[in-house]
Amino acid sequence: MNFTNFDFDQLFSMGDDSNPLMMLVWILPIILFVFYGQQIQLFVTSREIKKGIQKLDSFRIESRTELINYVKNNLKAKNDPVKKIDKFLEYFTIMPVDMDPNGIVDKVRHTVRSREDFTRIHVKTLSPEMSHLELTRVQTLLEIASSLQMIYKIINHMFLTAKKQNNYPLILPLQMILPFIMEQAEAMKDAIPAFQKGQPVGDGIGPMVVGKMMLDCKKEIVALETSLSKIDYEDRHLFLLKAEGPGSTVGRPADGLEKIVEENQIDAIIMIDAALKMEGEDSASVAQGFGAAIGGIGTERFQIEAIATSRNIPVFSIVIKQSVKEAITLMTKEIADTADDVRLQVYEMIRENSDKGQSIVIIGVGNTSGVPQ
Amino acid sequence: MIFSKKKITTEYTMEQCVKCGAKTKRKFNDGDVLFAEISKCNLCDGLTKIEKIFGETIEE
Repeated sequence: MNFTNFDFDQLFSMGDDSNPLMMLVWILPIILFVFYGQQIQLFVTSREIKKGIQKLDSFRIESRTELINYVKNNLKAKNDPVKKIDKFLEYFTIMPVDMDPNGIVDKVRHTVRSREDFTRIHVKTLSPEMSHLELTRVQTLLEIASSLQMIYKIINHMFLTAKKQNNYPLILPLQMILPFIMEQAEAMKDAIPAFQKGQPVGDGIGPMVVGKMMLDCKKEIVALETSLSKIDYEDRHLFLLKAEGPGSTVGRPADGLEKIVEENQIDAIIMIDAALKMEGEDSASVAQGFGAAIGGIGTERFQIEAIATSRNIPVFSIVIKQSVKEAITLMTKEIADTADDVRLQVYEMIRENSDKGQSIVIIGVGNTSGVPQ
Repeated sequence: MIFSKKKITTEYTMEQCVKCGAKTKRKFNDGDVLFAEISKCNLCDGLTKIEKIFGETIEE
């Protein structure tokens, strides 16, 4: 075959003998895309986003139903809890003004803690005989349901605004962030059964390691929902700190640490926490590093860093890598299997970074659901 | 997705005898929490403690 003698006129129907109908077939789509391209793209993208929003809506409804069923079936609610739960789901938090950042952390901490404290009191009114364990579970389920409700509302608002304005560029950021939002929302939806049954989640690996070290030792409550044990290891004094299990709580480790350093001379802090793995990294891999390993809004980390800096205490950390979903759903076998290895690494870290007679604080950071001490 | 496989997670509890160290894996029961003393060991007269609670996911 000879490929060198193409007749482009013939190929694209541009010759004198071309059919006017064929010309229209070429020109019409060009005109259509020039003038209506954005609307077509908006239409196609909208269909994808609509599917995502329908999923988010179903997650929101499912989480609300699960919460209501849990309260009705497990707690002796005085009255019908639906109205109260719906009111709790609409709770919002207005973050402090940050135009002047001076003192912003204290303001954020005050706002967040006020919300936590008052939600706890209000949830308790659902059933005054509710145990502390049940209270923490209901609080966590409420947090999941209200987060899913908020996500749905924000995404739906962004979508409807773009549609109302018929504005394609407005829908672009939504299209870009939606897969990440869906991943988080699906993880939250899948987390519900674990918290209902009081099972340990991936984030609980830190408390699991420290909890085992605290077994058969005297415990004291050192801050709200935070447990402390003092033990000796190879002529060193260890202060073991974790959230008070087996309820679903992260406790207040920074307050606990503050109290410990006020009364004792501390030479090192070791923190054990779950950390988000990067794409391509193996789940349940363990890494050591420096600095305060603690997530959340940032106030706890700020407080721990401030205490460590003011007293010149080095902070070491061990993290167990996992995905968002693994962190908040039932602990996987791979993560649970790392517990013994992490504990050995903690002891090794103590020996390497402290001398005999020194004192070290070990903090197991994370949600302690299903993990007592 | 049409071609995505359904994932099923089964919840397990791993018990370990504090005396002989024998491990037993069974299905999770409501009320199981880590480190709780559960039952007598089948191999010796020691007590078993819950060592791990975890989920294993299989694709259908």
